[in-house]
Amino acid sequence: MTDQVDHQVTIEDLAELMKRSAGVSVDPLILEEEAGSGWDTFGLDSLGLLGIVAELEKRHGTGLPEQMERCTTPEEFLAVVNGALAKGA
Amino acid sequence: MSSQSRRRNAVVTGLGVVTPHGIGTDVFWKTVKEGGSSLAPVGKEGCEHLPLRIAGEVRDFDADALIEGTFLVQTDRFTHFAMAAAQLALNDAGFGRADIDSPYSVGVFTAASSGGGEFGQRELQKLWGQGPRHVGPYQSIAWFYAASTGQISIRNGFKGPCGVVAGDEAGGLDALAHATQAVRRGTDTVVVGATEAPLAPYSIVCQLAYPELSRSDDPQRAYRPFTTAACGFVPAEGGAMLVVEEERAARERGAEPRATVTGHGATFTGASRWEDSRAGLARAISTALAEADCRPEDVDVVFADALGVPEADQAEALALTDALGPHARRVPVTAPKTGTGRAYCAAPVLDVATAVLAMEYGVIPPTPNVFDTCHHIDLVVGRARPTELRTALVLSRGLMGFNSALVLRQGSVPSPE
Repeated sequence: MTDQVDHQVTIEDLAELMKRSAGVSVDPLILEEEAGSGWDTFGLDSLGLLGIVAELEKRHGTGLPEQMERCTTPEEFLAVVNGALAKGA
Repeated sequence: MSSQSRRRNAVVTGLGVVTPHGIGTDVFWKTVKEGGSSLAPVGKEGCEHLPLRIAGEVRDFDADALIEGTFLVQTDRFTHFAMAAAQLALNDAGFGRADIDSPYSVGVFTAASSGGGEFGQRELQKLWGQGPRHVGPYQSIAWFYAASTGQISIRNGFKGPCGVVAGDEAGGLDALAHATQAVRRGTDTVVVGATEAPLAPYSIVCQLAYPELSRSDDPQRAYRPFTTAACGFVPAEGGAMLVVEEERAARERGAEPRATVTGHGATFTGASRWEDSRAGLARAISTALAEADCRPEDVDVVFADALGVPEADQAEALALTDALGPHARRVPVTAPKTGTGRAYCAAPVLDVATAVLAMEYGVIPPTPNVFDTCHHIDLVVGRARPTELRTALVLSRGLMGFNSALVLRQGSVPSPE
């Protein structure tokens, strides 16, 4: 868990989390291409997003800012989470 | 009712069943007609040590093949059953996306009495085993009684009137009454019914306190209502969903009415007060017959509640006599649920589906595992009885004291004079 790589969430990680926490199947390449689109484009609802945040908090052993649950796009989400993890590291 | 009455008729156009006998009406009816039984030792993981030995489990249900991943992660097994049964009913009715005039013209009503026990148990184990952070957010919706109504609506884009009846076992019939009312008040199509999945360890433990639960370990003897050997009921999972439509709307899209819901009555007589259920059930029957404009002798078959507790069986037989008079000794009574077990509020809905099939095929299915009766009723046992059926009476009572009766007529019923 102390590995530096663990402190960045990639688009692939996010795709895997969307599948695992919310049952949403999305190709990481498409997720990257459409990263500026709203979550509903991919079929992710607000409870699904909540589950992804909780899973990331568990994995990284740290609390994440509340604003994460208000992020409306994957792009914004990754920027906020990686910003927070970098600060916490 | 005046001849000018433009009452909107609520007709059944589609059936979908998920049962211990199998999935879909074809396989279900084949076993029901033959009087087959699917009661068996409880096989669920984690239940081996529990004193409930026999149940009606739905086997070979492949949720992954029937339900999309996004719905699977946020729903319990009882909702998986409901979504699958709703889809089967819509297919059976030939009701596709193109038939939806407006999303507001299609509603959903379900009954529920045990909720999402399997999902709930899993998440609660995480709560005390690992801590609150490990509980998934879908716990907030998955185990609620309302889950199936919501998820069927979301999955199909239905936005008409919807509701959830939490009214004990009898709530299954009450949900059909609500659907019928919704149709009469202006909704063209309602998907209605109930499914239950009460066989997870947590759910079974919740039921162990019921004195009416059968503790027998013999699948052939565990559930034998109306006999001197009656020793309680066997619980089950599964259920049925129906498509109920306004008759003219159904005909306009080329669907034939298969049965009409014509009457309903409901009463309450208190938890496990079976002697008192006699008067309550009789009143529910009389109310349902009056609404249906039926005389007692019009009833061609009764689908009994058949709890399997001697005083409850006695009360039901007497309620029939109170409500139907001399016809109570002549009318055939059946309880196919002795072959599937009793899936709580889904049990009477499955009986409604069975009644529709029985009227279509002109056959009364028998009561499995029962060979004689100690009550003064004409219980259909052994083999199916072929006969013309125009009117069916379906009865249900709940362990908490709810009693309901529903009257169905075959095909469409012409408006009363």
